[in-house]
Amino acid sequence: MTATRIDGKGIAARMGAATAAEAEELASAGWPPKLVSISVGDVAAAELYVRNQSRRAEATGIAFEARNYPETISLEQLTGVLAGLNADPSVNGVIIQRPLPTHLPVRTLQRTVHPLKDVEGMHPASIGNIVYNDLALGPCTAVAAVEMLKTLPLTIEGLDVTVIGHSEIVGKPIAFLMMGLGATVTVCHHMTRQVAVNSRRADAVFVAVGKPGLVTGDMLKPGAALIDIGINRIETPEGARTVGDADFESCAEVAGWITPVPGGVGPVTVATLMQNAVLATRMQMERYSGEYATNGARPG
Amino acid sequence: MDDIAKKATLIDGKRFSEQLRERVADEVGRLATRGDVVPGLAVVLVGDDPASRVYVQSKQRAVTAAGMRSFEHSLAAETTQQRLLDLIHQLNADADVHGILVQLPLPDHIDPGVIIEAIDPRKDVDGFHPTNVGRLGTGQGALVPCTPLGCLMLLQAHLGSLAGREAVVVGRSNIVGKPMAALLLGHDCTVTMAHSRTRNLPDVVGRADIVVAAAGRAHLIQGDWLKPGAVVIDVGINRIAAPERGEGKMRLVGDVDFDGAFATAGAITPVPGGVGPMTIACLLVNTLTAACRIHQLDEPEGLAPSL
Repeated sequence: MTATRIDGKGIAARMGAATAAEAEELASAGWPPKLVSISVGDVAAAELYVRNQSRRAEATGIAFEARNYPETISLEQLTGVLAGLNADPSVNGVIIQRPLPTHLPVRTLQRTVHPLKDVEGMHPASIGNIVYNDLALGPCTAVAAVEMLKTLPLTIEGLDVTVIGHSEIVGKPIAFLMMGLGATVTVCHHMTRQVAVNSRRADAVFVAVGKPGLVTGDMLKPGAALIDIGINRIETPEGARTVGDADFESCAEVAGWITPVPGGVGPVTVATLMQNAVLATRMQMERYSGEYATNGARPG
Repeated sequence: MDDIAKKATLIDGKRFSEQLRERVADEVGRLATRGDVVPGLAVVLVGDDPASRVYVQSKQRAVTAAGMRSFEHSLAAETTQQRLLDLIHQLNADADVHGILVQLPLPDHIDPGVIIEAIDPRKDVDGFHPTNVGRLGTGQGALVPCTPLGCLMLLQAHLGSLAGREAVVVGRSNIVGKPMAALLLGHDCTVTMAHSRTRNLPDVVGRADIVVAAAGRAHLIQGDWLKPGAVVIDVGINRIAAPERGEGKMRLVGDVDFDGAFATAGAITPVPGGVGPMTIACLLVNTLTAACRIHQLDEPEGLAPSL
């Protein structure tokens, strides 16, 4: 048996087209969506992501401003920057690029972004809404992974799903999203005694740990869907390569569907970020016209 | 019953909750003698549902018995949503109030989501505000809903560390099932979240070292489904007919068939007298925790599990 590849680029392109139409509609209503990306210090590690996001935003009709602050910026200063962006009606979403210098706790900064501008879905209120099954601005990677599963001809209600990895921004939100859709969800992690026992009885497996080769074909039920969220750089005799958490060859032999890395969850995550940007803009427009304006126009 | 059969240990929530309430009262006394603060809980009741009134009264009695201040706000059933929001804003700003509890259910014309989101998350002692739910999910010092917090305390008291244990939560309510799953994940259990759509519930329950039953269906979980030695926390409170007690009599049972489970489980909470009494005790814990955090005082050590 050979698994069908789940085409992340194709899914991202379809999402992008819908998002672009939304962005255009918002722009003609006087609310052109705009994202601001914040990185601090040496940007080499984040640069690839920023460039990628910027390109996607441009292609979707979303303005994208990349700001880089010096390594020496204090938490108070950066919090002040965020407060300014929260108050600026022309900015609809804020992205905080990681890694950050150690004196800038990422959680504190994520909490500082206004929940209506939290396009990364990292504010505690955004995560809480996921648990409440009220999907407004969800954490992009988790939402993207679930969207990919939803493209498959599977009935999610009653589906047995195993999530490997219980990180706060990927594994746990996926678990709650899938439970909200009616799946029976098991979450495994580094303390789990036998991951294989849990993965082998699942109709769908999500893996988000950050360990190449963690999931092998013998850990899967034949025909299962495998959504691989890991992005790992490894050295091979042929040079550096990007691989997921699954051993692709052996898993593709057993699984019914599998996401490739790269070209799987990655592009859909960026597409979800853009989707969040237009959704955030729409929510801000509605909030503004509901509370302040009589004609729905943006101030200033 | 067969003498040789191993019987489960009873997890006595009533006794545990009494000790917890004493512990809270001691801490409150200590805060008061140091002149730091007297924790205060505002309980808001809208309408005159008799069951809600009973709950509110028992909560207020417990608050006062622990040496805290209790503020009661009893509003007419026809109170508008705006009027209730005004009260919430006023309580948010009141320095004597550290916890705000809006008794649910609210009358139909009031959206509970809007009211809960209006509560300052720092004073949200029910732990229902999305920010607290998200903080629980991300391990950022949440106020945790009282019932699952009580379940976690009982489990830890009985088992010690929960890391690596297989846990199954049956039921996915916002008030119990979901936060329970998040708590158990936070304590490194391998967690399965099962519910009404789960295909093979007996098998799922049968693999668990820890079963938390919160589905709200009498005797949903059979004793012979359980893995021998499993620890069973039964959150269900269901009223069923009890003809053996006389015509028209009712009795309370949990979601687990207690008699069957008693022969298989390692330990089990009774209904009543198991999880129930823990809920109010945890409300006191949360009010004390909220007061300490708002005043930037050290939280009493070991009172609530680390989250």
